[in-house]
Amino acid sequence: MIPKGTGASETDVTWEDQQNINKFGRLNNRFHELEDEIKFVKETIDNLEDASNELILTDEDVVRFQIGEVFAHVPKEEVETRIEEMKEVSSKNLEKFEEEKESVVAQMGELKKVLYGKFKDSINLEED
Amino acid sequence: MAAAAAASSSSTASPKTTTERRGIPGAEFVEDVEIYLSQTGLDVNSALAFLQERLQQYKLVEMKLLAQQRDLQAKIPDIEKCLDVVATLQAKKGTGEALIADFEVSEGIYSRARIEDNDSVCLWLGANVMLEYSCEEATSLLRKNLENAKASLEVLIADLQFLRDQVTITQVTIARVYNWDVHQRRIRQTSTSSTAKDSIT
Repeated sequence: MIPKGTGASETDVTWEDQQNINKFGRLNNRFHELEDEIKFVKETIDNLEDASNELILTDEDVVRFQIGEVFAHVPKEEVETRIEEMKEVSSKNLEKFEEEKESVVAQMGELKKVLYGKFKDSINLEED
Repeated sequence: MAAAAAASSSSTASPKTTTERRGIPGAEFVEDVEIYLSQTGLDVNSALAFLQERLQQYKLVEMKLLAQQRDLQAKIPDIEKCLDVVATLQAKKGTGEALIADFEVSEGIYSRARIEDNDSVCLWLGANVMLEYSCEEATSLLRKNLENAKASLEVLIADLQFLRDQVTITQVTIARVYNWDVHQRRIRQTSTSSTAKDSIT
């Protein structure tokens, strides 16, 4: 999103305005990054759910659990514990990202008010 | 970049721009378009061309930095996986039983390995070099690499943020110079049309 002018108004752009525009740009980038991170973490949590469901169904005592690039033979209980731990970590990350995303959206809303207030039609802050 | 530096050297040093960051030139914030054009001695089209060129240069640097960021972001999970393996080996050391693992020999073909109790691991350092380390040394080396990678990533992200700010400033300046030009033309048009009307009457 590029701040464009319609050419009709001669509103001056102060350094403070420029800094607000810059900050809005940074927040918007961070917003998109967070959306991608959240999508990735949600996928991870889904995969872990599927894995633990499969684990319940299997009747083997030894499960091949991926550590690094190899599949180590790990007893079923240990695998269950590990998957629980991984789910915990992912849930915490998801919470952290969602919180940050809310804060970013709020800040962007504030900046929009300020910038539209000064520039009205001369600026476009929406997604294309 | 040298021509660009020469063009902007005539302007007064404004405290509102960091002149550059790690080789990336800072975009000068323009207080007043008219003063900016008279200071640089450029006409509107040359100013616009100069700013567009600057924008292109920024885009190139952005591509390069994004590629570096992607590399680092791939490297970090790799190092974490290695740490995981070493930690697992160390955990198995105490129990006395061997670790059985299935590993990929070739695409789609796996084989089983029995990893006995041992005190050392070999780490791939790159450039066809592999060194043997004790488990503790390996863990500390991998941790150090992880720290370095994370620190580099942070610096890179800060660079990208700085760069994006400069891009935004340049885009806004381009819009303002263009609008100023349109405004000037309109003023000239209304003044010439009114003088034309005067001369006709």
